[in-house]
Amino acid sequence: MDDVTRTKWDKVAATYNLMVSYGPEKRWEPFKRDLFANMGEGEILFLAVGTGLDVPFFPEGRTITGIDISQKMLDKATHRIDAYQGRLQVLQADVHDMPFEDNRFDQVFTSCTFCSVPAPVDGLKALKRVLKSQGDLFMFEHTGSQLYPFKPMMDLMTLVTRKLGPDMNRPTVENVVAAGFTLKQVTHVYMDVVKTIHAVA
Amino acid sequence: METRPYFVLGDIFSNVASGALIGVVCAVLVPHGWHMLVTMITGMVIGMVTSLPVAFFLSGLFGAMETLLPVMTTGMVAGMVVAMQASLTATCLEDAARIGGLCGLGVVTATYLANTLIRRRATRWTT
Repeated sequence: MDDVTRTKWDKVAATYNLMVSYGPEKRWEPFKRDLFANMGEGEILFLAVGTGLDVPFFPEGRTITGIDISQKMLDKATHRIDAYQGRLQVLQADVHDMPFEDNRFDQVFTSCTFCSVPAPVDGLKALKRVLKSQGDLFMFEHTGSQLYPFKPMMDLMTLVTRKLGPDMNRPTVENVVAAGFTLKQVTHVYMDVVKTIHAVA
Repeated sequence: METRPYFVLGDIFSNVASGALIGVVCAVLVPHGWHMLVTMITGMVIGMVTSLPVAFFLSGLFGAMETLLPVMTTGMVAGMVVAMQASLTATCLEDAARIGGLCGLGVVTATYLANTLIRRRATRWTT
């Protein structure tokens, strides 16, 4: 397990909900609900459960395995996980070293995850390994921008935010392709920065 | 385009208030008679640096990227405009706040329009 990343998120756990649970989650709620409505009847892997802020947006009755690198974040998620009307089990795990056999999951969902995974292409390749052939990858992610003045701003912000948690300038769509997925759809939620991505293994 | 009143009003408030604050900061820090290019760059830097903590605070209330990017743009624009104004002529704090606030209003309007265009274009990128 990547102890540097785990320690970083353990430290953030105490204040994470204060930072993102109101404005960002309320703002993105309709888009996340639309994305999670794609959750099917098969086995689903949800990456980076965090404090469970996304759990109330999951459709009921699904079979979901959630992972997060930080046990302290997962501890904050307990009441949301318990309230889910379906089968949701969570465990502490690193995306680079997941304790799942190959081709296990029908779908993988991520939510603001690949801004923080240290080696994003390797992390996406690990997701491809546990996804069944033609399995779906659905992502809600913020990425870098190609537009001025946002690109230099996000490069500047990353110098600060990397120490606290996420990078602001990741080329996540390109990383998905580099990991060997076939891109099906990219929808922009805000500018060219916040996106939903659908790809298949 | 965002239509929920809480977020629309929040976006306007965030940008107008941060623009006004940055206008005042630039009017205080930039002396009269500086070279225009130096003033412009200094104002942009002051605006962006000042706007960063303001944007992080406001993002908790009104949305992450939807607040960070416009407020930092407001910082850059308001910083540049007010610093240049303060360099050319003596600018009182009230005028600096008003000019900065107007810059913020302009930026939030521009980002709403840009967002609408980009989101429409994105639907054509789907495969």
